[in-house]
Amino acid sequence: MIHFDNVTKAYANQNRPALDHVSVDVDKGEFVFLVGPSGSGKSTFLRLILKEERPNSGAIHVAGKDLGRLSNFKVPHLRRRIGCVFQDFRLLPNKNVYENVAFALEVIGKPRRFIRKVVPEVIELVGLEGKAHRMPDELSGGEQQRVAMARAFVNRPMILLADEPTGNIDPATSIGIMKVLDRINRTGTTVVMATHDAAIVDSMRKRVVELEDGKIVRDQSRGVYGQAY
Amino acid sequence: MRANFIFSEVWIGLRRNLTMTIAVIITVAVGMAMLGVGLMINAQVSMMKDFWYDKVEVSVFLCTKNTANETCKGKAITAPQTQALQKQIQGLPGVEKVFYEDQVAAYKNFQESFASNKALVAATKAEDMPTSFRVKLINPDNYQPIVQSLTGQPGVAQVLNQKDLVSKVFELLDKLRGGAIVVAVVLVLAAALLIGNTVRLSAFNRRRETGIMRLVGASNLYIQLPFVMEGLISGLIGGVFAAVLLILAKVLLFEEIGAQLTRGAQIGWNDVASVITLTMAIGVVICVLASFVTLRRYLRV
Repeated sequence: MIHFDNVTKAYANQNRPALDHVSVDVDKGEFVFLVGPSGSGKSTFLRLILKEERPNSGAIHVAGKDLGRLSNFKVPHLRRRIGCVFQDFRLLPNKNVYENVAFALEVIGKPRRFIRKVVPEVIELVGLEGKAHRMPDELSGGEQQRVAMARAFVNRPMILLADEPTGNIDPATSIGIMKVLDRINRTGTTVVMATHDAAIVDSMRKRVVELEDGKIVRDQSRGVYGQAY
Repeated sequence: MRANFIFSEVWIGLRRNLTMTIAVIITVAVGMAMLGVGLMINAQVSMMKDFWYDKVEVSVFLCTKNTANETCKGKAITAPQTQALQKQIQGLPGVEKVFYEDQVAAYKNFQESFASNKALVAATKAEDMPTSFRVKLINPDNYQPIVQSLTGQPGVAQVLNQKDLVSKVFELLDKLRGGAIVVAVVLVLAAALLIGNTVRLSAFNRRRETGIMRLVGASNLYIQLPFVMEGLISGLIGGVFAAVLLILAKVLLFEEIGAQLTRGAQIGWNDVASVITLTMAIGVVICVLASFVTLRRYLRV
């Protein structure tokens, strides 16, 4: 589903590349934790999958597409198959829960009948039934993140990318978020989650890829956050 | 493509930047109106040229009893002199037609021309009018040899080339047209920059929305269309105001003030309509282009 082949990405004005000859394979339906200290290249990894950045060398395949050969014109269609969740939720403050989720479908031109059908379903899936007409500032951080996940998942993407989704949320609420991510993963969606949260990684017992200074230093199925050094 | 979604986005954008939108509309309206007036003057001038150059003649004024010119020496032209002069003029190369205007005909023309000035008409008698030969030329530009050979002939008071008079009016109109077009170009430039700024503000105000649109895979068209539509709608509204200004210009400027000058050669409403269509098209195209160019710079898609 996601295939990195010897990928190097260096930003201008930085002496060390953000990603240094990274090769990794993520299969369909996998749940992968991406761990490592700040600046280790986790976010760059996610941005490369979305083709928000271009690698300096190496090849990236996402959902069967070679990103190096994908024309800019087709990038939006790639992104429709990838959902995204962020630490800062990125909700629209002037739209309620339902409208925030529906927005993702409206802007890709889905018919209104379809939107009316699927949005309530996905709001229920993330556990926000009954709160469809709340505004974002009336919700807790955990609830806002659920809205963001509903928006990311409403178009049934093949891949869900989560960049520290529990970074702004207390540990108790984080468990609920992880349950939703697990539920999404069980529908067959590949999930890649970058995180610092050791407790979550340890409790989930999923595949762990650890980055350090842009290099993969560990790739372990059913791993934990920090190895017993 | 969902039209009502795009339109609600456009409406929000225009409302948020209301002052900038108004500035754009005013600049486009005045700029396009100036351009339109320039084009209308242009149409009017070419029409008047057709009308007048067809009619201009070289007037050969003859001596009468009351003529003050030195060349007449206080004597009126005699009948044989008149006949000889007519033969001479007809013999000149480049002359198409000659006809004789006597005092009665001249007085009639005078009355028509100054119909609005009744006191002047009342104070003037037919005997005050000069008699003249009206010489129609094959080529109105080629008047020099005719004027030269007739000036100073016995019984000739003055030779007047009407084209000289008409040309002065045209020169003035040409300058007015040039001025209007220069102002129009400057205003169009200002409008383009203003639209660029407005779109930039819009893009900044809506960076959350556009960011999410990018993320969930909205196409470039969907992301950019609301901004381009904002430019287009401002341009259209400006164009409508310009059209109103142009209609006023036609009624107040061209019909009232210009009526004396233009006589039968007044530009018609179909000319005004085509000028309005053209200026509106130019206004809209410039607005859309300015939006597009700014978007390329400030809205990475």
